[in-house]
Amino acid sequence: MQEQFNEIFTKYHEIITIGVYGTSIALMLIGLYAVLTKKNLVKMVIGLSIVDAGIHLLFVGIGYIQNGTAPIFSPGNENAGDRMVDPVPQALVLTAIIIGFAITAVALSLIIRLYKHHNTAKIDQIKYLKW
Amino acid sequence: MVISPIHYIFVPLVAAFAIPLLSKINKELPRIIPGIVMFYNIIISFVLMQEVNEVGYISEVIAGWEAPWGINLVITPFSGFLVSLISVLGFLIWLYGFRFKKVIDAGELRSYNILQMMMITGAIGIIITGDIFNMFVFLEIVAITAISLTSFYRGRDGAEAGFKYLLIGGFASALILLAILILYTQVGTLNMAEIAERMHTVPQGIKATILLLFIVGFGIEAELFPLNGWAPDAYSQAPGPTSSAFAGIVVKAGVYGLIRIIFTLFDVDGAYDFLITAGLITMIIAEASALRQTNLKRMLAYSSIGQMGLALIAFGIGTKEAVFGAMFLLFNHAVIKSLLFMTGSILIYNSKDKTINSLSGIAKKLPFISILFAIGAFAIVGLPPFSGFWSKLYVLTAAADENMILLIAAILAVSVVEIVYYFRVVGKLYFPDKESNIEVYRPKFNAMIAMGVLGVVILVIGFYPDLITGYLHNAADILLDKASYIRFVLNADLPIQ
Repeated sequence: MQEQFNEIFTKYHEIITIGVYGTSIALMLIGLYAVLTKKNLVKMVIGLSIVDAGIHLLFVGIGYIQNGTAPIFSPGNENAGDRMVDPVPQALVLTAIIIGFAITAVALSLIIRLYKHHNTAKIDQIKYLKW
Repeated sequence: MVISPIHYIFVPLVAAFAIPLLSKINKELPRIIPGIVMFYNIIISFVLMQEVNEVGYISEVIAGWEAPWGINLVITPFSGFLVSLISVLGFLIWLYGFRFKKVIDAGELRSYNILQMMMITGAIGIIITGDIFNMFVFLEIVAITAISLTSFYRGRDGAEAGFKYLLIGGFASALILLAILILYTQVGTLNMAEIAERMHTVPQGIKATILLLFIVGFGIEAELFPLNGWAPDAYSQAPGPTSSAFAGIVVKAGVYGLIRIIFTLFDVDGAYDFLITAGLITMIIAEASALRQTNLKRMLAYSSIGQMGLALIAFGIGTKEAVFGAMFLLFNHAVIKSLLFMTGSILIYNSKDKTINSLSGIAKKLPFISILFAIGAFAIVGLPPFSGFWSKLYVLTAAADENMILLIAAILAVSVVEIVYYFRVVGKLYFPDKESNIEVYRPKFNAMIAMGVLGVVILVIGFYPDLITGYLHNAADILLDKASYIRFVLNADLPIQ
């Protein structure tokens, strides 16, 4: 019973791994597509956020190990050293999320100002400076 | 030790949080505090540079976690030199911009001062950190503050320039994050010395991929072609002191990041050739674009990009002499281009439409500013009595030692282009087509001092280049000695002789 469970779990783990990597790469590509092809400034910023989200997901994905525990030596988990998930990517991703948030906030405030001056959010109608 | 590298980051951050509170007490405090912080930075630099001269390296461990596990700050002769340069320039730029915008409301004054201070702090952070992710965080601090300062004026074009910068910058940050991610899966560490040590285990193909991502990411701050589309707009739309800070400080930090990553972290075949090629393309295209600009600040911005291309070429040659020449060039460019932007901002403030043609004959009204602008222009094209001559000469001799004749020809040809467009401006200043009777705004005493100091530095270094060449030779030696960096950071109690 336990072996069967482990077998299923291993397969499940592979699916999760492929799923996480695949999803993150798909998110990056979707974001890139939006940034490159959309004419609306808000949509471009959304695309940028999606690229960021894909990278964040990949970050968390590489730190994941099968059947892992939190990286804390707690009672009952004294010898869990090799089963602990890597805490570094998680710490990095928190920082990266905050930076992404800041960039999005600045971008949206700039869009509001652009809209006030140009009365449009279409990138091809805003071209007083040479693009 | 009372003074440590952490003060570079800690003191401005505390000050930035304190400024909004203290501005309730006195309206003048927001503009005085950054000056105090910048002056303290100069003191730190002075103390640390003496220590670096004695022991070779300083590695400051943060929060008691030793080097590979915690974040550390490393000061080498190269980074110490750049940080000192940035500290002094930061102070002078503050002095120049002290009476900047006398009449704007308190909120804008506050945010301008905080952002300007944080931008300089971020640039210093990029240079002194020994941790690759920490470098990314500081790069983002620089990017966000620089974007905000670009769109500081509430006009139409400021927001557009800022948004353009933000799109490129946001994309670059995603790429650097991806590069750090791949690097971490390969070497399992974020400490730059440890990465450099383990780098030989990484397959060449993956190494090249990571390097490419980093080059694109940092190339944006270093104004590498074709990633520099933001630069001319940002320089021309930002307030005067901020354009000086872009040219003197932000670009230096970007170039440092690029150089540290290529020289210390990676030893990919062809990275140096790539630097030469990229630098050459950047230089030629930028100088050709500068030639056809009518807006003075845009012209200066393109010239700045061109100079950075030359610095990258010199770094790419990779010999000790060439790296020394590149460092000298970074120093000269920081001093000269800051002066040009400071004087140029005052000149175009007095012109009708910011164009070069409308500056006709302004030298009569503003003799001091015009003289300083002329000194800067002569120095940056590399005329003999000024400091720019020496750095160009050293780069050219280094290229000649390597028998790179075509490179020398390209640099000299570009210098001729530089002479044409700078002399066109100086000629307009002194030999007017027609007499103009405009009322001019005269800069205040503090701005005069800041610009005067830079002008004197250009002349003094021009006559006595030995004042800094000895130190720069040492810095170039140590930058190329990757093994000592690794050994020192991972084993911080063994100073390198």
